[in-house]
Amino acid sequence: MRIITQIIIPLAFCGILPAQLKELPATPQISAIPQPTLYDSVVKIEVATQVPDYRTPWNSGRFSGGTGTGFIIGPNQILTNAHVVSDNRRLLVTRRGSSQKHVARVKHVAHDCDLALIELQDFAPFEGLPYLKIGGMPRLESRVSAIGYPVGGERLSVTQGVVSRIDFSSYSHSRADSHLVIQIDAAINPGNSGGPVVQDGKVVGVAFQGNTQADNVGYIIPTPVVKRFLKDISDGNYDHYMDLGISPFPLFNPAMRTAYQLPADGKGVLVANVVPAGPADGVLERGDVLLSIDGNAIDSAGNIRIAGEFVDMNEIVERKFAGDKVSLSVLRDGKKFEKDLTLKEFPHSRIYAIQYEQIPRYSFFAGLVFQPLDLNLFASFKFDDRRLRQIFADYVSKGLFREMEDVVVLTRVENDRLTTRMGGFAGMAVSDVNGTKIKNLRQLHEILNAPNPPEFHVIEFNGANRPLVVPSAEVAAAQKRIMAQVGITKAAQLD
Amino acid sequence: MKKLLILTLLLIKPLAAAPEDSLVRINSTIQTYSASQPWEKNPPRSRRGLGILLPGHRILTTAAMAADSIYIELQSADSTKTVPAKVSAIDYEANLALLVPDADHGFLVDLQPTSIGDPSKPGEEIELLQLETNGEPLSTTGTIRSMELLSTFVTGRFFLGYIVKASMQTSGNSFTLPAFRKDKLTGILTSYNSKDQVSDVISIDIISAFLKDSADGKYEGFPSLGISTTTTEDPHFRGWLKLPEDKGGLYVTRVLPKGSADLAGMKKGDVILGISGFAIDRRGYFKHPGYGTLFWPHLVRGGPAMGEKVAIEILRDGTPMTLEPTLKKAPLPLIPNSLYDEAPPFLIKGGLVFQELSKPYLEAFGKDWATRAPLNLLDVLSNPEDYEEGRRRVVVLTRVVATEATIGYDRIASQIVKSVDGQAIAGLPELAAALEKSPENGIHTIETDEEPYQIFLDVALSDQVDRDLLKRGLPILKRLYTLE
Repeated sequence: MRIITQIIIPLAFCGILPAQLKELPATPQISAIPQPTLYDSVVKIEVATQVPDYRTPWNSGRFSGGTGTGFIIGPNQILTNAHVVSDNRRLLVTRRGSSQKHVARVKHVAHDCDLALIELQDFAPFEGLPYLKIGGMPRLESRVSAIGYPVGGERLSVTQGVVSRIDFSSYSHSRADSHLVIQIDAAINPGNSGGPVVQDGKVVGVAFQGNTQADNVGYIIPTPVVKRFLKDISDGNYDHYMDLGISPFPLFNPAMRTAYQLPADGKGVLVANVVPAGPADGVLERGDVLLSIDGNAIDSAGNIRIAGEFVDMNEIVERKFAGDKVSLSVLRDGKKFEKDLTLKEFPHSRIYAIQYEQIPRYSFFAGLVFQPLDLNLFASFKFDDRRLRQIFADYVSKGLFREMEDVVVLTRVENDRLTTRMGGFAGMAVSDVNGTKIKNLRQLHEILNAPNPPEFHVIEFNGANRPLVVPSAEVAAAQKRIMAQVGITKAAQLD
Repeated sequence: MKKLLILTLLLIKPLAAAPEDSLVRINSTIQTYSASQPWEKNPPRSRRGLGILLPGHRILTTAAMAADSIYIELQSADSTKTVPAKVSAIDYEANLALLVPDADHGFLVDLQPTSIGDPSKPGEEIELLQLETNGEPLSTTGTIRSMELLSTFVTGRFFLGYIVKASMQTSGNSFTLPAFRKDKLTGILTSYNSKDQVSDVISIDIISAFLKDSADGKYEGFPSLGISTTTTEDPHFRGWLKLPEDKGGLYVTRVLPKGSADLAGMKKGDVILGISGFAIDRRGYFKHPGYGTLFWPHLVRGGPAMGEKVAIEILRDGTPMTLEPTLKKAPLPLIPNSLYDEAPPFLIKGGLVFQELSKPYLEAFGKDWATRAPLNLLDVLSNPEDYEEGRRRVVVLTRVVATEATIGYDRIASQIVKSVDGQAIAGLPELAAALEKSPENGIHTIETDEEPYQIFLDVALSDQVDRDLLKRGLPILKRLYTLE
C-alpha cells in the first residue's frame, strides 16, 4: 500500500501541476525533496543498431535505431527485452527526469525468451535508486500497471490493465519459441518493450509484444520466465531453453490406445518422433508412451497439473537447465519402466530461429554466392525451390543435420560473362561438389578453392536436373573481376 | 427429296461446298469431381464452341469442348435444331475430339461435310469462321505468321500449330473455331489474344494424324519418347559434356522407366544431337524444310506413327552413338498429369480418406498451388523418381473425416501411405485389398511418411462407421479401378 501511495504522489507532481502548487504552497510533502521511487528505476534505452543484410552478406548492413525501456533489478543490472538491444552498435540509458545519456552494454542476452541484462559503464549516477523486486504470477482479472517510455511523448508513461489470460504462447522475437505468456488489456506500444509491469509494488512481468490483430491487448513475459533467465545467467553464461527433442501425439484414439496396450484411462501421450541426436535419442523411441514426467502424471494430450495449474508437460522442461535430469515413466511394448534423461543444448534446432549478433557466413566463388540455410536466410530470400523447402522442414525432425551440418544454398548468381547461363540454379541446395558430399560451408569453400583443381568444378544440387559447371581455368580472373564489379572486398566469411 | 438435291449439287460442283455449310454449334455441360471430396462432383459449367462436320457424320472439335462433359448437344447454325452427341475419339494432349450423334442424325443431314486440306505453310492466308447469333457465318482472313509447337490444353504437351495474325471480332465465350484454306479445313483455333491480334491454331498435320488414328474406331494416341530434357546453351556445361562448338545438343535429364527411350537404352546424361536425320540445336529446335524452326517433339509426334522406329543420335560421355527407339505411348506416370473423364479413385475407411496423388489434386489447392499445396506431396511431383520404388501410384491419406474411429486423428492430413499391416502399398486397389483382410488383433496399422508414422484403425468400429457414413449421405465409400 505504501508503494502505491508513492506512485500516486510523483504522478501528480510531474503531471498535473504547477497550478495546484501555487494554491497549496504550504504543503510540506511537496517542498521536500522526494525520495526516489520505483518509477525512477525505470529507464529509457536508446539503441543504435547495425542489422546485417543476408542478401548482400559482404556489406555492412543497415544502420538504424530505436528506443525501449529497462528497469533496475540490482547493482548495475538493468533488465530489458532482447529485441530492444539486438544487433546493437551503441546503447544509451537515460534516467527519468534527466537528459544525460549513459553508455551501457549488453551483459547477457536470451533471444529465445526475449530477455536481456545490460550494465552501465558507470553505475554511479544510478546509485541509490530502488531495485525492482521480481514478484510472482498475478491472478486472472487482477489489475497491473505497465511502466515505460512508449511512443507518443518523451516522459514516462503508465498504463493500467487487467490480466486477461495466462497461456503458453509464441515469442515473436526469435519466431521459433513458445513459453508462458500473460495477456493484459493495457495497450503495449512501441517503446514500452522491456518495461516492467507491476502489481503491489513488485514486477509481475516484462512488457514485450502486442497483437496487430486485436486492439487493447498487450503481452508480458511472466516472472517464471524472468527468474529462469536470471538463474541461467547466474553462472556467467546463458545456456538457452532445453527441449526434450520429441514430438508428442495425443493418444485419444481407442484403437491407437489398444495398439499401445493402454487402458482407456485418458493417460499417457505418444512419442511420435524422437529427434535424432537430440536429448531423448537413445532414451526414448518412436512409439513409446510417456506416462509421467518428474512424477507428474501426463494425460493423453500431453498435459500435466503442477500446483493446481493445468499446463503442457513441456513446462517441466522449460524450468530446467542444461545438465539437469528429467525422470520419465515410459511404456514400451506394454512394459513400464522408469528412465532419466539428461537435458542438453541442441543447437541444430536454432535453424528455425532468427539469429542476432551474427556475422552472416558466405563464400563467394566466381560470381556464385553460397550461404548456409537458416531462418535469417529464408526470411531474406523467400526460397520457393521445393526440395530446399523440404530439406528445411525435415532438417531436425528427420535428422538431416547429421549429414549436413550446414545446408549450403546457392543464393545468388552475380551477372558476368562467366555466369551468364547459371542463374537458374539460384535458390537450390548444394548436394555435391566435384563428387564430394557437402556437409558445411567451410568444406564447400575449401573444395572449390583447393590447389590443382579439376578442369571443371562440378556442383550438383538437390532436385536439379543437371549439374552446374565452372571451368576452373577461368575462375581466378572471374573472381577478381566480379568482386570488383559487385564491390566485394572479402571472398568468404566462414565463421 | 432433300437428299437428292444435295447429291445434285455435289455432282455439279464437287468442291464448291462452302465451309460455313459444315459448321455446327456445340454446347457441352462439363462437370468434374471434387478434389477434396472425390465422392461428389463440382457444380456443372457449360462451354460453347464450334464443330466441323466431316464425312460420315463425324464432328471435329477440340478436346476442351468434350473433356469431362456429361452432356453434349449439337446445334444448327441458326440454333433452331439440336442433336445430342457423344465422344467417339478424344486426345487431351493434342486437344482434339471427334463427336458422333448419339441418336439419329437430325439436322446434320442438311449440312455439307468439309474436306481435309493440305498442310499449310507460314505466309499463307487462312479464313477463320465464326457464327453470328442469327446463324450467319462471319469470316475473318488471317495470315500464318509462323509455325510453332503449341500446348493448347494439357500443359507441357506440345503439338504443331500455326500462329495466326488476324483482327477478329470477339464473339462467343469459347474459342473453338475452324480455320479454312481454299475452302478446306486447315486447323482449329483455340485461343485469341485481342491485344496482339494473334491466335493459336492447331495444325491440319495434327488433325490428319488424329483422324487417321481414329478411323478404325480404336484411338491410340500420339507416341512419346518418355524423356525430360534441358538445353545446352551454357558454354561451360557444353565444355564439360565435350560437346563440339558446331553441334547443338539437348541434355536428357530424366528417362521414364519402360518408355520407348528407356527400352532403347537411353540414359540420363545422354545428349541428343539429332532425330531422324535432323540436327537438334542447343535449345532443342530443328530446321523443318517447309515449316521453319520447330521444337524437337514434332519429330516424334508430328510424323512417325506408333510402332515405327526413329533414329536418335546421341553423345554419351563424349562418344557418339545411335539409338533406335520403337515409338509407343508414354508410360503411365507415377503422378497422372491430368484426369479428364476419369472419376478419381478413392477409398474411405472408418473416416480416413485415401486418394491417389495426381497433378489435378495438387492444383485444387488454388492459384498458388505450387507453393500452397502440402510440401511432401509437391516433392513427389518434382522428384517422382525418389518415390517410384514399389509403387504404381502414390496413395495419400488426404484427410480425416471426424468419426468415432478417427478420434484424435483430426490434425492428420496429406500423409503418404507406405504400408498397411506390414504390406507395401503400390496403389489404391492394393490398399483396398489390404484393408479387406482382418488382422489378428482386429486393428489395422497404417504406416505413413509423417508423424505419428503409424495410425491405427479398429476393424469392427470402422466397418460400423462406414455403414453410418453411407446413412449420413455419402453415396459411395470407394471408387476403385481394376488392375490389369
